[in-house]
Amino acid sequence: MKITFPNMGSAIYAFKALLEPLGADVVFPPPVTKETIDLGVKYSPEFVCFPFKVNVGDFIRSIESGVTNLITATDFGPCRFGFYHAIQERILRDLGYDFRMIALPQGDLLEFKWIKTLDEVCEYTGLKKLSAAWKGVRLFLIKAKLIEDIENAEGKYRCREVNRGDTDRIKRELLEKLDATKRLKDLRNFRNVIHEEFQKMDMDMSFEPLKVFLTGEIHVTLEPYVNRDLKKKLGKLGCEVTQTLSLHDWIMHKFHVNFHRKEMAHLARPHMPLDIGGEAVWVLGEYIWAATHGYDGFFHLYPFTCMPEITARGIITNKLLKEYDLPPLFVSLDENLAEAGLITRLEAMVDLMHGKRKKKNEYKQKLNAFMDSEKQDYLANQQQHK
Amino acid sequence: MINNCDNKMTQTRMELEDGSKAGRMDMQEVYLGIDVGSVTIKLALVDPSNNLIKSTWLRNQGSPIENVKIGIKRMRDELEQESMLDSIQVKAVGTTGSARYLTKSIVGGDVAKTEIIAHAVAAISYHPDVRTILEIGGQDSKIIILRDGIVVDFAMNSVCAAGTGSFLDHQAARLGIKIEEFGNYALRSETPVSIAGRCTVFAESDMIHKQQMGYSKEDIIGGLSQSLVRNYLNNVGKGKDIQPPIIFQGGVAANSGIVEAFKESLKEEVTVPKHFLLMGSIGAAILAKEHFQENPGYKTNFRGFDVHDIEFETSTFNCGGCANNCEVVQVKMAENKEIVARWGDRCGRWEVF
Repeated sequence: MKITFPNMGSAIYAFKALLEPLGADVVFPPPVTKETIDLGVKYSPEFVCFPFKVNVGDFIRSIESGVTNLITATDFGPCRFGFYHAIQERILRDLGYDFRMIALPQGDLLEFKWIKTLDEVCEYTGLKKLSAAWKGVRLFLIKAKLIEDIENAEGKYRCREVNRGDTDRIKRELLEKLDATKRLKDLRNFRNVIHEEFQKMDMDMSFEPLKVFLTGEIHVTLEPYVNRDLKKKLGKLGCEVTQTLSLHDWIMHKFHVNFHRKEMAHLARPHMPLDIGGEAVWVLGEYIWAATHGYDGFFHLYPFTCMPEITARGIITNKLLKEYDLPPLFVSLDENLAEAGLITRLEAMVDLMHGKRKKKNEYKQKLNAFMDSEKQDYLANQQQHK
Repeated sequence: MINNCDNKMTQTRMELEDGSKAGRMDMQEVYLGIDVGSVTIKLALVDPSNNLIKSTWLRNQGSPIENVKIGIKRMRDELEQESMLDSIQVKAVGTTGSARYLTKSIVGGDVAKTEIIAHAVAAISYHPDVRTILEIGGQDSKIIILRDGIVVDFAMNSVCAAGTGSFLDHQAARLGIKIEEFGNYALRSETPVSIAGRCTVFAESDMIHKQQMGYSKEDIIGGLSQSLVRNYLNNVGKGKDIQPPIIFQGGVAANSGIVEAFKESLKEEVTVPKHFLLMGSIGAAILAKEHFQENPGYKTNFRGFDVHDIEFETSTFNCGGCANNCEVVQVKMAENKEIVARWGDRCGRWEVF
């Protein structure tokens, strides 16, 4: 049976790895384009979050290309994401499409409700395919981790590339290679391959980039068309991008073994004691973490009308900014975003970070000079006493 | 304090040195700044000590390429009239505004920086202790927060055009008064009416309603100024730490009614600099100067004041290389078909800057 899922950046390669061993014929969704967004906007409620609209567009385009089995994640809240799958199914039914929607409950992965979903994907053949499912899950987790590594390396190396487009090419080649690898055994050395490939690139190692932290709502942060290639733009402006957010990060959190997120939640606890949906809690934690680890800027992406992320934004601007003094830039994304305005704000932000860094360095130099002179005075005094 | 004195001293010393240099040498170094905004184009020639030598501005109607060329021609004619054209030498060109990259490739610019930084740099050069810059232009409004001479925070309106010059222009036309008179009307108002300023659409319908109720023009305009300021402070200035000294620049600063309304609601002194309209272009020129001074032996890409005679062709095509089907814009020189600039694609395959 042909099956597909909504777009979410390079995470689609991991989803493919999950479903393929089950005997499903996995088809990638058509890449997000203007057409997808137009379709989604047309058939979605106006004030719903932007990822909802993009997903609807993805589903419509997939169904029209002949794939009628759709798999999508669902949650039990706390934000509007909990309603996504049910409402999307209704919208598509009202449009008269014939399809099957398979929900993948991800509220708490340790409840193992997702096994039922995988059973549904392999058409209720039950235990016969459990070993296949087990292989799929392992491949999924390992590939998701490797995709995270590729994305991290991309953020790290783009600002240093000499020939424009090298990073994009290497990333694309690595993802294709990853997709073509079907056996667990062949993935053992892949992590080294990623770094070797990127190291082959011509790089300007003397360049000192600005260090920025990129985070936000998971769908808009991971899907490059939706965030207008923000990561790429930052790289081109000379910023080394750190992004801990990824599909693997999220899945590990849902398996309760993501200690990075636990640390972030701990940092954010005085300001937000519970998970209110989206990435709000961890965004706050990451802001504090980035501010105390020498970052120059913080970029927060969220869909227009996203309740949890806007709450996080309010806490950062009103409380944390005064305390930690790390310049943040908030990008609210929806179909009406004017790209010229975004570029202007990005460039201004980069100039701001350069100015701040210059000031910091001057201060450091002054401080060092002062300390040196004090030290010499002290030594001279000691000499005299002797 | 000490720092300020120091700055002033070095400045005067620099001025003196420059004066003696100009006496000896016949060529004066100048820097050109071009600010291509949504409504107007501003050009400024600045000397090494940041003094404005020559400036011009015109409305940006139709193609910015043509208008920039007209602006440069106008500047050249003015320089020629004062027979200054041969005694100056353009060392570097800076562009800013929403069409900064296009302008940079047309005139042969050296640096293209955002309006935010250009405005901040210009304001610092005239008022070194500035801590807040309010800027309202034709289509967008910004707030820039500075501390110790560096930008620490900024905001600009993203989608909404409420409270910008275009809106005032439109409303002045509706009321049948000249935009130049707008400020005086607002100042004459004694009991300004309250007008919903959250959104231009609501503001307009509310204004029409007040008009039909028989309120005087003065009071309506006074109310409109106040609602514009309220909207600006609630939208752009929300959550920002506005501290004096405050500088108000951009085209709307010409409107004394708005200046008064700002003073009233901020309860602080608001300074309007002498060249409030040209601050963006002066900033661009200063940034060009800094670029020139940081790179010794730098040679400008400026095509000269005769850029008006060069014909440019713009065309668009759809790439078709992938599913995104990006629309690519390219600018060619008509004469030798050399591609000056090309952009609009997401992957960078066609990009030429």
